[in-house]
Amino acid sequence: MSVINFKLRNQVIKHNASLSYCYQCSTCSGGCPVALLTQGKYNPRKIIEMAILGLQNKLIKEPNSSIWLCSTCQKCVELCPQKVELTEIFTLLKNKIFEDGKVPEAFLLQGQAILDSGIAIPYSKAIISRREKLGLPEIKTAPIKEIKLLLKETNFENKILKGSK
Amino acid sequence: MEEASKRALVIGGGIAGIQASLDLADMGIHVDLIEKKPCIGGKMAQLDKTFPTNDCSICILAPKLSECYRNLNITLYSYSEVQKVEGIVGNFSVEILKHARYVKEDLCINCGLCVEKCPMRVEDEFDRQLRKRRAIYMYYLQGVPAIMTIDKKNCLWFTKEACRICEKNCEKEAIDFNQKDELIKINNIGSIIVATGYNLIEDIDNDILKNYGYQKYRNVVTALEFERMLSASGPQEGHIKRISDGEEPKKIAYLQCIGSRTDRGAKYCSSICCMYTTKEAMIAHEHDNELESYIFYIDMRAGGKGFQSFLRRGEAEYDIKYIKSKIAEISIDKNESPIIVYEDLDTSEIKKLKVDIVVLATCIIPPEGIVKLAEVIGFELDDYNFIKTPPFSPVKTSRDGIFTCGCVHEPMDIPRSVAEGSSAAARAAEIIRGG
Amino acid sequence: MSYDIFLGCVIPARLPFLEASGRKVFEKLGIKLNDIEGFSCCPDPTGIEQIDHKTWLTMGARNLSLSKRGNGSIISFCSGCVETLKGVNYFMNKDNKVKDEINKILKKIGKNYDGKTNVKHFAEVLYENLNKVKENIVKPLEGFKVAIHYGCHYLRPSEIINWDDPFDPITIDEIIKTLGAESIDYDLKMECCGNPVEKSDMDLSLLMIDNKFKSIQQSGANCVALVCPACFQQFDFKQRELNKKNNSNYKIPIFYLSELVALAFGYKPEELGLKFHRVQPKTLLESLQFSAKI
Repeated sequence: MSVINFKLRNQVIKHNASLSYCYQCSTCSGGCPVALLTQGKYNPRKIIEMAILGLQNKLIKEPNSSIWLCSTCQKCVELCPQKVELTEIFTLLKNKIFEDGKVPEAFLLQGQAILDSGIAIPYSKAIISRREKLGLPEIKTAPIKEIKLLLKETNFENKILKGSK
Repeated sequence: MEEASKRALVIGGGIAGIQASLDLADMGIHVDLIEKKPCIGGKMAQLDKTFPTNDCSICILAPKLSECYRNLNITLYSYSEVQKVEGIVGNFSVEILKHARYVKEDLCINCGLCVEKCPMRVEDEFDRQLRKRRAIYMYYLQGVPAIMTIDKKNCLWFTKEACRICEKNCEKEAIDFNQKDELIKINNIGSIIVATGYNLIEDIDNDILKNYGYQKYRNVVTALEFERMLSASGPQEGHIKRISDGEEPKKIAYLQCIGSRTDRGAKYCSSICCMYTTKEAMIAHEHDNELESYIFYIDMRAGGKGFQSFLRRGEAEYDIKYIKSKIAEISIDKNESPIIVYEDLDTSEIKKLKVDIVVLATCIIPPEGIVKLAEVIGFELDDYNFIKTPPFSPVKTSRDGIFTCGCVHEPMDIPRSVAEGSSAAARAAEIIRGG
Repeated sequence: MSYDIFLGCVIPARLPFLEASGRKVFEKLGIKLNDIEGFSCCPDPTGIEQIDHKTWLTMGARNLSLSKRGNGSIISFCSGCVETLKGVNYFMNKDNKVKDEINKILKKIGKNYDGKTNVKHFAEVLYENLNKVKENIVKPLEGFKVAIHYGCHYLRPSEIINWDDPFDPITIDEIIKTLGAESIDYDLKMECCGNPVEKSDMDLSLLMIDNKFKSIQQSGANCVALVCPACFQQFDFKQRELNKKNNSNYKIPIFYLSELVALAFGYKPEELGLKFHRVQPKTLLESLQFSAKI
């Protein structure tokens, strides 16, 4: 059952007021490359509609939410006649899903790599020697202590732990 | 002349200005009617039919045009613009710049010999660039006054000091290359009506139309262009053909709210498009009753008298499919047929539709030159640069003695333009007669 | 002129040959790239930002605060890094509350970011120095029929990127033409490559790139040019996968824009590490009289 949750809607509007400008014209869904290829399984207009209605169960609690199919190509954002910032709103919703601990594994893996090393892709031995052969300098990345401290502050570490369970 | 016989000035010779002029003339008030273009008639003259009755537009308009020309109470200044307005309500003086036509108005009989011989081919503004005209030309077939005009920008005599072939061929010796622009001063004007009409968004800004491939894909046209394509006197002589290959279309899609109701263009509703797309689809269907029509809309705005039943007739009798969906962009296939991808909001399905022609219902915008005119006359404009009027006095501008009617006031259809024309005439007469 | 070079993760740690061509091109142009110690992941706008905006802002602001701010501030070879860094600037400068909140966190590590580090994409800098590029061409890229893939994040959201037209861009076309190559138009030129959705739906991601390849093949182009490492992986790595899956036979060489510029500047394919591409450009380069020893 879909439960209307105005708290969620108001949270989204507070974060991004442009949500309330949407008049459901379908410019976004008509222009979306993923909506076309998934035959509407992913539909940016519907996600915005659900956000307007505050359908928390469908948006946040449902596993495998279609929202993850957004390719972040930002076409909808450029096309929207009302300048609704769809991608920003989707980001907020995805952040909420993450807090809830349900994100596709690939995001967790990237998050874990950042936690471990501060970078998304650690330098392998093979790459280091390839860099040398190409005459490229050694890269000194961020001190991991600093990054760990920051990620503790933003509560990122806990959220990754929750998601990995 | 008696002190009481104040005149009225009407700026703009479209249907609103024409109606105002005729009403004032019928009241016995002398009207000076100023038109920027070579002929009066305005946008209505470019239309094939009018909604919701689907009457022939020029058939309704033409008698009014000739009445304006014939009526002894109306002095028509075509190809003219207002330069200066002085004085106060009840007693304005106006300076008018009358552009030289290089054709003697009293001698030209509109026989067309000059046009036949003119070697220049230039884009025809009246036919929305869908046809070529000559450098000497009649603005449009039924135009009033029925006098030729030489377009100085393109005439070989004015650009290269050559040719003058029109002069040699004119049996009436009506060509006059020495004509000069004239400054005419009119005094004793009691009130002024501003009825300078509108432009369309494609006239100024094609950025908005870029996603729809306008001017890139030949089978994507605007509604006014399509109106010319439908018209018997238009570039295709009343046969609807694709511009790319001359084929008769089997499917036409009409896309509404192009440039209107958007933060990226005009923030207001263009007001007439919901109805005229249905009208155009009906007329197209009358040309070929196997034609399929698709109207893509955000909301159907059918607020006028008889409008809702007009839409119902479109659906029932003309096989028009109304699809609730705003179109994001257009691509084309190898035959230059437009392809539309859209979400059908009735079913939430993402669909693809290939059509032969796409008609863009482009937005009405304030007319070119309105900001300058507002300065010259001294009235205020609203946030969108239409003329500002108080809600309970809808034809009155912010300056006493200055009234307005038609689309320069806000986007509106022909019946309302006519009603406002009469309304503005009554208010203008009040000042002149009321003393 | 000098810039602080922000390499990010994908290029230096997975595709270092792209870095090699980039560094060579800018050296030739006389534009100095300063290596700065201590950058982290930008972080990924299609990854970390999607799951934790605050973390994304914090790490991005930390990176931006490290710039020594030479006359050009930061340059990056990666569209994703550019979007992140420009985006962090955008959000921090748009709302002082956000700036204060992030700086409160940065204070824990003794840092502060004022929102004033300028960020540029390397193609942006090339376009701005098009005359210099022209002067350095020794071997015009005749016969290169290039299908350009701009990539979404190079252009959009335009309010943040603030560079070129979001749907009808010209900058890379101009650079390609300057190199003496031909830019070939194709139907899906402006479509997304599909890389970001591989995190959630690999089949969809493959379908998106498959459609692009089909469109490119129809256009008559003989190679692709692009400016984003995520797009590069999608284009270069997925051809084999698609061929296996669909029995197709894609062999479209994929070039980074900097590689094409470097070739036109007279660098040899072997200096640029072109052999590390999965789809070998060898046959194409041979046919166009470029040294084939790669």
